[in-house]
Amino acid sequence: MLQVHDLQAGYGGSQVLHSISLHVEDGEAVVILGPNGHGKTTLLRAISGLIHPTAGRVELNGRAITRLEPEAIVAAGIIHIPQGDLLFPEMTVMENLLMGAYRSAAWRERNNKLAQVFRLFPRLAERKNQLARSLSGGERRMLALGRGLMGEARLLMIDEPSLGLAPLVIEQVYETIHEIKRTGMALLLMDENANHITGLADRVYLLEAGVLVREGTADELLGDAALLSAYLG
Amino acid sequence: MEQLFQTIYSGILYGSVYGLMALGLTLIWGSLRMLNLAHGSLYLVGGYLAWTIIDQLHLPLVLAFLLAVAGAALVGLIMQVVLINPLLGKPGWDNASLIATVGASIVLESAALLIYGPQVKQMPTVVEGQFKIGTVLISNQALLVIATAVLFLILMSLFLRISRHGLAIRAISQDMDAARLAGVPARTAFLIVMCISAALAGLAGVLLSSIFYLAPTSGFVPMVKALVVTIFGGLGSVKGTIWAAYTIGLLEAALQVYLGASWALPGLFLFMIVMLTVRPNGLFGLGEARRL
Repeated sequence: MLQVHDLQAGYGGSQVLHSISLHVEDGEAVVILGPNGHGKTTLLRAISGLIHPTAGRVELNGRAITRLEPEAIVAAGIIHIPQGDLLFPEMTVMENLLMGAYRSAAWRERNNKLAQVFRLFPRLAERKNQLARSLSGGERRMLALGRGLMGEARLLMIDEPSLGLAPLVIEQVYETIHEIKRTGMALLLMDENANHITGLADRVYLLEAGVLVREGTADELLGDAALLSAYLG
Repeated sequence: MEQLFQTIYSGILYGSVYGLMALGLTLIWGSLRMLNLAHGSLYLVGGYLAWTIIDQLHLPLVLAFLLAVAGAALVGLIMQVVLINPLLGKPGWDNASLIATVGASIVLESAALLIYGPQVKQMPTVVEGQFKIGTVLISNQALLVIATAVLFLILMSLFLRISRHGLAIRAISQDMDAARLAGVPARTAFLIVMCISAALAGLAGVLLSSIFYLAPTSGFVPMVKALVVTIFGGLGSVKGTIWAAYTIGLLEAALQVYLGASWALPGLFLFMIVMLTVRPNGLFGLGEARRL
């Protein structure tokens, strides 16, 4: 469903991504593994329209979406759950979730979606009237994921879901991502730890210095300890 | 006792109207990070349109009210499209937007001077009647002004809490990237904010000029006071702004009643200097990113 061809992007004069090509199929979980600072966040920002790629093409089901504004890309069905959560700190948990259903089609379905999200994250239901800034790190991550699920996503792009969390919470977060995958949602996940994604990823790319250096099924790549330690340390 | 009552009565009247003015300023600041120095001129647009429709065209009151507010919103919309949009995302936004809005205010005030002349206009009394509590004279017109202002303050807070677009306005002021990733079209949202803000200024203009006189310069002082209110309330905070509006309204009324009318403005500024020294982030003391 998602096709990226020879994508290049960066900030100001400095190029971060050099000719990235990848694809995600319906219902597939694709993980891009790479150390910090090698372009994972930039890649997601370029796909979701927060930065405009300098070259290359992004297509969703054959339709070009390169250089569209973020709202048009959300409308096309790609939802980006950013790194560091980017919540609305002075809004309640409930209001944050409702913002995820901002687009009018999603807004009409907001009560159903809320019920789904609260089933997935009972913790958020308990805290629904609290301000987002008063949440713990794990709760913030759950809220960011929940907000992403409030929209009409066909592809969910999640940036480093484990970042800055305690090991126990990390486990919960990946369990939830498993559940999201079971609903048939296509996933594009950025990660730096191969252990997190074993059993979740269908296909894996290795990203180094803005280039995708390897591609393979999860079984091939994640089984190759020597390869992973060479790239991820 | 009567002085106290007079203070409370005037304070609530001022506070309600300053609340409308200041809410508009704070919404613009929160979303666009722009200090709209044409806000007082949008107040004028509302006031003059209402005066023209009621006093010259003799159209019904409700129609005048609606047209004046809609007219101010329209001027705000034109300002945003013609003046502000071309500056968005360009370097030097702080200065450029400030100068652009000063320019807009000069244009609008000069237009008012050209069309209506320098003479003071008086809005006809809409509701007759007044009554006395002790020696304090309370006019029905002022009560109507208070009621209308409070009604719109409540409607605005509900809009910002419940509706999809209201939530989006608060969202863009708290985290622009996150709001865009939720699908909020930034430019459309800015346009909506500008229209609402201009409508609120126009509304304040209609209401306050039905009590005081109207002249091409009379938008300036309400804007300065609204500025004091927004700074006091913590720029960008809606709850803080409404609390601050009534505090400043009451303070101004107290200064007028106990020290004399000429003390009102210097007193307010002195108060603001002290406030900014003690609580630089305003009444609610939120940090830079934590607003609205």
